[in-house]
Amino acid sequence: MITIEGLTVSFGAVQALRNVSLVAETGKITAVLGANGAGKTTLLRTISGLKEPKTGTIRLDDQSLVHKRTEDIARLGIGHVPEGRGVIGEFTVEENLRLGAMMAKVNLSRGLDEQYELFPVLGERRKQHAAKLSGGERQMLAMARALIAKPSVLLLDEPSLGLAPLVTAQLMHTIQSLCETSDLTVILVEQNATSALRIAHHAVVLHVGKVVANDTASLVAADENLRQYYLGLVE
Amino acid sequence: MKFAGTRRRVPIAMGVAVVATVVALVSTTTSREGVALSVAFDLAVACGLILSLPSFKLSHPVVSRAALTLLGLDVAIFITFFLNSSTNFNLATGAAMSIVLLGLSFLTGASGQISLGNGAFMGVGAFAMAIWANHHTTTPIVATLLIAVVCGALVGLLLGLPATRLRGPYLAGMTLAFAVAFTFILSTFSSWTGGDSGLQLPTAAIAPRWLDGFFHAGTPPLTTTTLYLTDVAIIVAGVAFFFMANLFASRTGRSMRLIRDNDVAAELVGVSLPRTRVVAFIVSSAYAALGGALLTLIDNSVSPPTYSFALSVTILSLIVIGGIGTISGALIGGVIYAFSTNVISWITTQTGLNPQGNLASQLNGIIFGGLLILTMLFAPFGITGAARSLWHRLRARSPG
Amino acid sequence: MDPFLTSRIVTDVLGGLTNGVTYGLVALSLVLIWRSTGILNFAQGAMPMFATYVGFALLSYHFGYWPCVVACVIAALLIGGLTERLLVRRLYGKPEINPIVVMVGFLIVLEAVAAAIWSSTPRSLPSPFSSIHWQLAGKPFALSPFIVYEFATALVVMAAVAVLFRFTNLGLQLRASALAPEVSRLLGVRVGRLLTLGWMLSTVVGVITTILVSANFFSGLTPTVMDGIFAYGFIAAAIGGLESPVGAIVAGVLLGVVNQFVTDYVNQNAVIIIALAILIVSLMIRPSGVFTKSALRRV
Repeated sequence: MITIEGLTVSFGAVQALRNVSLVAETGKITAVLGANGAGKTTLLRTISGLKEPKTGTIRLDDQSLVHKRTEDIARLGIGHVPEGRGVIGEFTVEENLRLGAMMAKVNLSRGLDEQYELFPVLGERRKQHAAKLSGGERQMLAMARALIAKPSVLLLDEPSLGLAPLVTAQLMHTIQSLCETSDLTVILVEQNATSALRIAHHAVVLHVGKVVANDTASLVAADENLRQYYLGLVE
Repeated sequence: MKFAGTRRRVPIAMGVAVVATVVALVSTTTSREGVALSVAFDLAVACGLILSLPSFKLSHPVVSRAALTLLGLDVAIFITFFLNSSTNFNLATGAAMSIVLLGLSFLTGASGQISLGNGAFMGVGAFAMAIWANHHTTTPIVATLLIAVVCGALVGLLLGLPATRLRGPYLAGMTLAFAVAFTFILSTFSSWTGGDSGLQLPTAAIAPRWLDGFFHAGTPPLTTTTLYLTDVAIIVAGVAFFFMANLFASRTGRSMRLIRDNDVAAELVGVSLPRTRVVAFIVSSAYAALGGALLTLIDNSVSPPTYSFALSVTILSLIVIGGIGTISGALIGGVIYAFSTNVISWITTQTGLNPQGNLASQLNGIIFGGLLILTMLFAPFGITGAARSLWHRLRARSPG
Repeated sequence: MDPFLTSRIVTDVLGGLTNGVTYGLVALSLVLIWRSTGILNFAQGAMPMFATYVGFALLSYHFGYWPCVVACVIAALLIGGLTERLLVRRLYGKPEINPIVVMVGFLIVLEAVAAAIWSSTPRSLPSPFSSIHWQLAGKPFALSPFIVYEFATALVVMAAVAVLFRFTNLGLQLRASALAPEVSRLLGVRVGRLLTLGWMLSTVVGVITTILVSANFFSGLTPTVMDGIFAYGFIAAAIGGLESPVGAIVAGVLLGVVNQFVTDYVNQNAVIIIALAILIVSLMIRPSGVFTKSALRRV
C-alpha cells in the first residue's frame, strides 16, 4: 500500500504538485488521470525518488520513501515503468529482462519463463535488440522487466501512449489479471481515461498539480463534470 | 542602466587630468616631451570619460568602445613611462598574452568549445613572423604582424574544419594532438625554423625617428627600445580588444552565444552550426598567432621550446582564472601572466624552498593546475565572474 | 634460412604492433570512460603514471617486480575511485568544457606533483623478461621475450574487458548505467557505484599500459611518460569513434603500425604529423568515427 500525504513538488518557482494526498491500496489498481502537465508523471517520479518533494510524505506500508535513493526505493519492491517505456534499445530482449531481474534475488531462468509465458511474443524475440520491437512489444518488455523482480507495487506511466486501441485493450486486460492473481498494487497514470477507468478500482484526477477528485473509479466515471472538464470525455 | 555618477564624471576627469599633467611635467626629463605627454593624456581622459557616458553608449556603441579603448591605451602607455625596463618587459609579454587569451575566451564564450592548442597557434604566428622578417627585411612591422595572423587563421581553418563538425571534446583532443605535434613540426622543417636554436629577427625593432624623442622622455634607466616595444604591444592589444568587443556585441557574436547555450534552438532560427563554430575557431587561432608574433617582436627572437604543450596549458589556466568567455578575463589573465614568474619566485623565497629543488621547479604546474581545478569547480567564470556576482550583491544590498 | 622473418617489412609490422597495442589500450580506457560518463579524460595518462610511481616505490623496500605490479593495480584502483568520487562527480551535467578543463588541470597537477616527489629524471623499472631481441640466423628479429609478454598482457586485458562487458551481470549493469542511467536506477542498479567502478577499471587498464611502456629500455618511467602515448591513444579513439571499444583497439594497433613505417621510411619527427593528418582526414570522411555505425550523439 502506498500512502501519500500533503505532497508538494516544485520545479523552481513552478509547483508541479500541490498538497496531493492519495492512497493506493494493496491488490487494487489506482488510476491517476488528468491532462498533459497535470503532474501525473511528476507524482510517479517523486514516489521513485527521481524528484525530491518540497513537503509531504510518501509511505510504502509503514516505511517512508522520502529522501531515499531511487535505486534503494526500487529495491524495496517498487517497479516503475517510465514514460516512453525506457527499454534499452541496444540490449536484447533477454538482456533487458536480465537487468530487471538482477536486484531481486529471483531465479533468472524461472523468472524469464514466467515472463515469456505472460508475454509470449517476448519469448519469440528474446535474442532481438529491443530497438527492433514495435511500440506494443516494447511496452510489454518494459512491464515484464519490472515484473520479473516480483515487485509489490507497480508504477505505470502512460502505458497506452502511442499504442493502437486493440493493443491498449490487451495491455489493460493483462494489468487487470495481474492484480487479480496477486497482491500487486498498481498506480496507473493515464491520459486515456476511458480505458484506465474500465479496469481501475480507484481514480484520482489531477488538475495543474491539485487533486480535484479522489473516489472509486465507477463514481469518477459517472461524474459528468469531471468527465467534461478534466478528462476530456464528451458524449 | 542608470548611473548615479554621470554628473560627477566631468569633475573627476578634470581632477585626473590636472594630476596627470603635474606628474608628467615633474617626472619627464625635458619639458617639451612632458607637455606633449600630458596634453595627449588629458585629451584622451576627457574624450574617454565623456564618450563613455551611458546615454552615448546606447546611441553610439562603437564610438563609445573606441573612446574607452583610447582611454585605456592612454592610461597604460602613460604608466609605462614611469616603470623600469624589466616591469615594462613583463607588461609587454602580458599584453601579447592577453591577445591570445582574448581569442580563447571568444572561442569558449561564443561557441562553448575549447582549444588546448593555442600555444601552438601562438607558435605558428611567432615563427611566421620570424621567417617572413628574415626573408623580407623591408616589410613594415604591421604588415608582418598581419601575415602572421593570416597564417594562424589558415592553420585554424585546416584543424577546425573537421573537428567542429562534431559535438563533444573532439576539438579539444585534436588541438591537444596539434600542440604535442607542433614541436615535431618545427624540427621537421628545421631549414625554415632554425631547428633547436630557433630564429633571430634580423633587426631590432626601434622607434621611427619622428617618435624617437618622445620615447627618450621616459625616466632613466628606461631603455628607449623596451619602452617603445611595450607601447607597441599595448597598442596592438588595444586594437585587438576593440575589435573583439565589437565582435562580441555583433550579430555574429550573438548567434555564437546562441549556439553555446542551445545548439538545437540555434539551428532552428537558421544559424549554421558548423560554419559558426569554424569561424569562432579561426578567430581564436588568428588571435593566438597575433599574440605569438608580437611576442617574437618583443623578444627579438623565437625559440621552439617556448611553444610546447605546457604553454597551451598555461594559456588555458590564465583565461579560466581570469574568466573564460569574458573580455575582462583576458585582460586579468594577461596581467597575471606578466607577473606570474615574479610571484612564483616570491613564493619560493618566502617559503624558504630550495630554488633548485624538485618542488620549487614544479611550483608553477602545481599552482596553475590547482587553480585551474579549483576555479572551474567553485567559480567557473573566474575572477571576472566572482567580481560580477560580488558587484551585483553589493548593488542589491545598497539602497537606491 | 628464412630471410622473410627478419625482413624490413616484418620488422616494421611487429615493431608497430608493439607500440600499437599500448595505443589500443589507452584508447580502450578512454572509450570506457567516455561511454559511461561522457567525459574525455585528459588525465587518462597521468593518473596511471602516478599509480605506477606509487606502486614501484615498493622497490626501495626490496620487493620484486610482481608485488610492485600488484601495488600499482591497487594504487590505480584507489586513484581512479577517489578521482571519480571527489572530482569527477561534481562535473556531471555541467557544460562540456568544465570536465575538459578540470581534467587538464588534474593532468598538470599530477605531473607536477610526481616530478616534485620523484623528480623528472627517468627511472628504469625492472622487467621480468629480457628485452634483448632474438636472433634468427645472425639477424635481429623484431621480437624479444619482453615484447611477447607485452602482447600477451595486452591480449589478456582486452579479453578480460570484453568478457566482463559481454558476459557478466556486472558488465550488463555497467553498460546499462552508461546507456540509460535513469532507467537503470529505476531497476535498482546502483549507478553511482558503477561509475566509480568504471573509473577504477579504466585506471587499471591505464596502469598496466604504463608499466609496459615504462619498462621500455629507452624511456623509463618519467612524469610525462604517457603524454605522447595519450595523444596517440586519443587519435586512435577518435578515429575508431569514441563509442566503440573494438574500434579504438583496432585503430590503436593500426596507428602503431603506420607510425613504425613512417619512422622507418620517413623519419621520427614526421610520425605525429602523419598521425594528426590521418585523424583530420578520417574525421572529415567519417565524423563519428570509422567504426561507429551511425552518428551517435549525446545531448
